[in-house]
Amino acid sequence: MSDGQFEEKLKRELAARRQRNPRYSLRAFATFLETNHSTLSQIFRNKRRIPVRQLRSWGKKLGMTAEEVAAFVAAQHVPEPSTVRRQEQLRHWTAEALAIVNDRCHWKIIQLTRSRGFQADCRWVARQLEVSVDQVNVALSRLLRLRLLAIEPAGRWECLLGREEFTEAAFTKRALVRVRELAAEDGVELRARKAKAH
Amino acid sequence: MANPVMQFQILSKTPDETAKFYATLFGWTVNADNPLGYREINTGSSAGIQGGIWPAPPQAPAFVQLFVAVEDVKGSVKKAEEMGAKLIIPPTSLPDGGELAVMHDPQGMSFGLMRSS
Repeated sequence: MSDGQFEEKLKRELAARRQRNPRYSLRAFATFLETNHSTLSQIFRNKRRIPVRQLRSWGKKLGMTAEEVAAFVAAQHVPEPSTVRRQEQLRHWTAEALAIVNDRCHWKIIQLTRSRGFQADCRWVARQLEVSVDQVNVALSRLLRLRLLAIEPAGRWECLLGREEFTEAAFTKRALVRVRELAAEDGVELRARKAKAH
Repeated sequence: MANPVMQFQILSKTPDETAKFYATLFGWTVNADNPLGYREINTGSSAGIQGGIWPAPPQAPAFVQLFVAVEDVKGSVKKAEEMGAKLIIPPTSLPDGGELAVMHDPQGMSFGLMRSS
């Protein structure tokens, strides 16, 4: 659960009461809140969330203003940081995969690096592909991120998929495998699940 | 060798608009006439650091990276990885003979390592 949520407020309140009265128990606090002490214990151990209705009622008992309670209610609706992080990772890796599928620039850059007269100059590449330099650089960054291309010390752009010839379809397939491998290293599974037969 | 911050880099989804915004706001000059088409920012001052603008991947928000000077990019990458950082762009040569790498620190914040030519 996020820092600063209502559970923390309850813990601080219990601690304050115990400071005033060392014999003040969890059970007494639960009684004050008109709830069960095991429910409260589970909340403190992050085993149970506080329903919004309960939060409003307890907030009132603790003397909180409606504005304070509203802030805690809003906080209850904020996703956990770990959920947000996972969604960001999933968004990133699916975007990387879709870019490989949808943007032919990646393949064309790879193809171009193997052509005679290739110039390691994004402006030249952009002219050859008839796209903007920014489009080249977005694709170039992705090829570098996916370890599909390297820029060698002499400034040479080197395809990291080997020197053999391959088709665009083969490139796309290998690039997508690379995306899946790197996503897996990041803890994200991109493998499509087969639908269950009914 | 000390490891000063050498450069800031703005990753923007709309690099032209970003360049125009900061150039107008601060009087910076932006020059992309180089083999990477990299929008180099000159703040016009010897105080502070200079920077650049690079197109952000569509899935990423706009953000700023700091590039730290290192003597050995590969060695620094290895050390950072041992400390929990993640490599995003492996050590890559620059057209001027320099080298850079981009990593995420253990909190997921992006930063760059660079060796000038």
